[in-house]
Amino acid sequence: MEFEVKRERLVLRAGGGKWEWHIEPRYWRNPLIFVGILIVAPVIIYFWYPPLLATVIEANLLAAIAIPLALMTIGTGRMNFGPQFYIGIGGYAAALLSIHAHLSPGLTMIAAALGGLIFGFLMSPLAIISGGLYYSLLTLLFPLLFLEVTYIFTDLFKGDTGLSSTPGAEITPLVSTGSFSLNLLCYALISLTIMLVYLFIMDKIFRSRYAIQMAAINDDEEVANSIGVNVNKVKILSFTIAATLVAVIGWFYAHYYQAFSGQVFLPLSFMLKIFMVTMLGGRTQIYGCVIGGYFIAFLEMILIRTTGDMSPVLFPIILLILLLVLPEGLFGLYRKRHYREYMPTLRFRR
Amino acid sequence: MTEILKVSNVSKHFGGLTAVNDVSFSINEGETVGLMGPNGAGKTTLVNMICGSYGVDSGKIEFLGKDITKLPPWKRCKLGICRTYQIPRPFPELTTIASVCVSALYGKDRPNRSLEDAMTEATHYLEFVGLFSKRNVLARDLTLFEMRGLELARALATQPKLIFVDEVMAGLNPVEAEKAVRLIEHAKDQFGVTVLWIEHVMAVLMRAAERVIVLHYGEKIAEGPPKEVADNPMVIESYLGRS
Amino acid sequence: MLGAIETTLIYTFLLGSLYLLVSLGFSLICGVLRIFHLGYAYIFTATVYLTWMFMTLFGTPPYSTTVLVISIICMLAVQAGIAIAIYKGLIVRYIRHEEIIILGLLFVAIIVEQATLRFYPIQTGVYLETTVIPGVSKIGQVTVSNQLIFAAILGIVITGLFVLFFLKTKLGLAVRAISYDIYSSRLMGIQVQRVFMIVMVMVLIPVIAATLAIVPIWAVDPYMGWGYMSIAILVSVLGGLGNIKGTIIASYIIGFCHSVVGFVIAEPQYMGLSALVVVLVMLMVRPEGIAKSETVW
Repeated sequence: MEFEVKRERLVLRAGGGKWEWHIEPRYWRNPLIFVGILIVAPVIIYFWYPPLLATVIEANLLAAIAIPLALMTIGTGRMNFGPQFYIGIGGYAAALLSIHAHLSPGLTMIAAALGGLIFGFLMSPLAIISGGLYYSLLTLLFPLLFLEVTYIFTDLFKGDTGLSSTPGAEITPLVSTGSFSLNLLCYALISLTIMLVYLFIMDKIFRSRYAIQMAAINDDEEVANSIGVNVNKVKILSFTIAATLVAVIGWFYAHYYQAFSGQVFLPLSFMLKIFMVTMLGGRTQIYGCVIGGYFIAFLEMILIRTTGDMSPVLFPIILLILLLVLPEGLFGLYRKRHYREYMPTLRFRR
Repeated sequence: MTEILKVSNVSKHFGGLTAVNDVSFSINEGETVGLMGPNGAGKTTLVNMICGSYGVDSGKIEFLGKDITKLPPWKRCKLGICRTYQIPRPFPELTTIASVCVSALYGKDRPNRSLEDAMTEATHYLEFVGLFSKRNVLARDLTLFEMRGLELARALATQPKLIFVDEVMAGLNPVEAEKAVRLIEHAKDQFGVTVLWIEHVMAVLMRAAERVIVLHYGEKIAEGPPKEVADNPMVIESYLGRS
Repeated sequence: MLGAIETTLIYTFLLGSLYLLVSLGFSLICGVLRIFHLGYAYIFTATVYLTWMFMTLFGTPPYSTTVLVISIICMLAVQAGIAIAIYKGLIVRYIRHEEIIILGLLFVAIIVEQATLRFYPIQTGVYLETTVIPGVSKIGQVTVSNQLIFAAILGIVITGLFVLFFLKTKLGLAVRAISYDIYSSRLMGIQVQRVFMIVMVMVLIPVIAATLAIVPIWAVDPYMGWGYMSIAILVSVLGGLGNIKGTIIASYIIGFCHSVVGFVIAEPQYMGLSALVVVLVMLMVRPEGIAKSETVW
């Protein structure tokens, strides 16, 4: 393995392959401003009104779920209607191991990621075998069935109420400084880091040869197969990697709330939230997912504060109106002016 | 002349319909072989079977001495078989250069090649077919002739040893048709590929092919140099009917 | 042993016919309109709670049968209106973007569910007196509610009427043609938009019938739609989306599965899981479902 630094590019050669990255600082201005705002905002909010940080954390987490989903959608060419299944896997794995085996958060993260990896790998053949309609229906049903399983094995999963910390058997929090607000700030920065790492990884993947491969598969699978693209491998890999990354978010939820209940994360209401994040972000645009995440989190918070108990009714109504009025999403409006060429597009297949 | 493709007794049935019935032939390196037959004779089915899109019901296909009957299509491509499509199937949402780049990257396992290198290679193939000026145009915005050129470039970028050209003439006016024939002959010279040419237009095969195979209702009815085949009474009957 | 076979047969018949009513609509919409009506669950909830709303509006407890009948008629009108509004507002505009249609329909179902939860929480005690045949009967060793038998027979009758409609009427022929090939149907002069609208309203009939028949004997709460929709999805996927023959066979298979697991093995909590396992295994073996076509008949 060899790593070379040329004048404006980095070249990595390993195992017969060659990867190049162009370093072009002139394109770094917008992303740096973006990331700067995202880092500075929680700190300002901490000094101004700390409880708002909970919304920021929620926004970061929603965006961090939607970003690997873009990879899964583009890589398999189909939309997975049950991404919250992997949140459930990660969250329950982390919570159970923390309560019963007293593992530290670092180890539970590895366990959650492994859970996501294994279940993602086991389910990935679905993307190969079943076509559009059947795939969507089955993926829709899996989280609901996971929920039923948690009800069946009530002693283990604690059914309706879910797993929570009791003295002697707790889900260890990730951070425990003395003050509640400082805790929130730390959680906000950790969730921001996770989201930015995911964003970076996906950005690199979507600018690489793997993205062109996935775009070819999305356009015409049979032709891609006959010019040498191993379609099955691409589908399995993107499904598994996306599942692993989403399971880590489940781990975060478990340690952040120090409780985890399938009732909150597995039913369709959570799935719709994730999908609205994706839709507002312009479907498979990863930068749009961040915008969508913040929009949805803050919208929900404002609705709960202002309308109280009517908010569960108003929230879906507003989301439905947004869906119909802005089919391109908020970020899609921006993207229309800066059209990129071979960015893989999504085709919903039959 | 070494034999690179050997097809032995392949058959394909679709329910009750026999599309290809016990066809055997072989192709030698450097040849241009024509494949003829009226509509519905099973030419495209045969090509689909050799390239891997359809499975073979019975029979064997050998390429460069290896049995490829059970290999998936992408593995056959890496060995050196590629095809163009009768109705062009470009990647509609990709630009021209990106389409060719996909096959340049994945058509053959070559070490030490990054995305930029593949893009550069793709420009060479585009220049060969004359599409370099259209390299940033979306593939669905091309004219029919340009799409055929793109198909050829995409197939050539996988560096095949054997290429199947499926009815290149359909829908082209005489000027474009002439250009297309010359392009394929040029490709043979420059890249050293063996060509199996499926065509209806006899004049082309007369000029370009060294050997012609004729299919009718899924069976091989004639094989030989084009002049001989053109005078074969069974071939004439299959095209024109019995008088 | 004989008792087990008896129980299985009887409940397969009862549950299968009921599931047939429930899934027929979903399968038809998938086959003809080619969209997933993922908001299918709202129809169940809306039937019950709209009727209740009209009943409280028109009368006072105890509610007479006249009030009930008038409420049901009003509810039918409102449901038809909602279906047409969904069709015109959502489906026609976004027929090219299927994700938007699916999400929009899901949103409609969630809005209905949340609105119901907000205005008629479980404590309100919603109950519709739609028992047609009261009491229970004893068939062999099995005691079943007469209403359930009525529901099953109603299921078979309605399905039979639908089949006759598709086979013998001109409109049914149009629907079948559309399910084969939309573009050719348009060329033949079939007004596709109008037929779609009629199908969307027609599909409400079996669902409303099933819900009204079942309400007195099974639980009613704002979340009831999802359970039935789960079954509809499983039956449709198993039988081949949109194919009536397949749906008929599949609903009896799922009915068999549920009756064995729920009544013979007597572990009702595994019913949903067992049905999914059956469907998954079937899909591995034969990915297009039982009937290998996605056309209506």
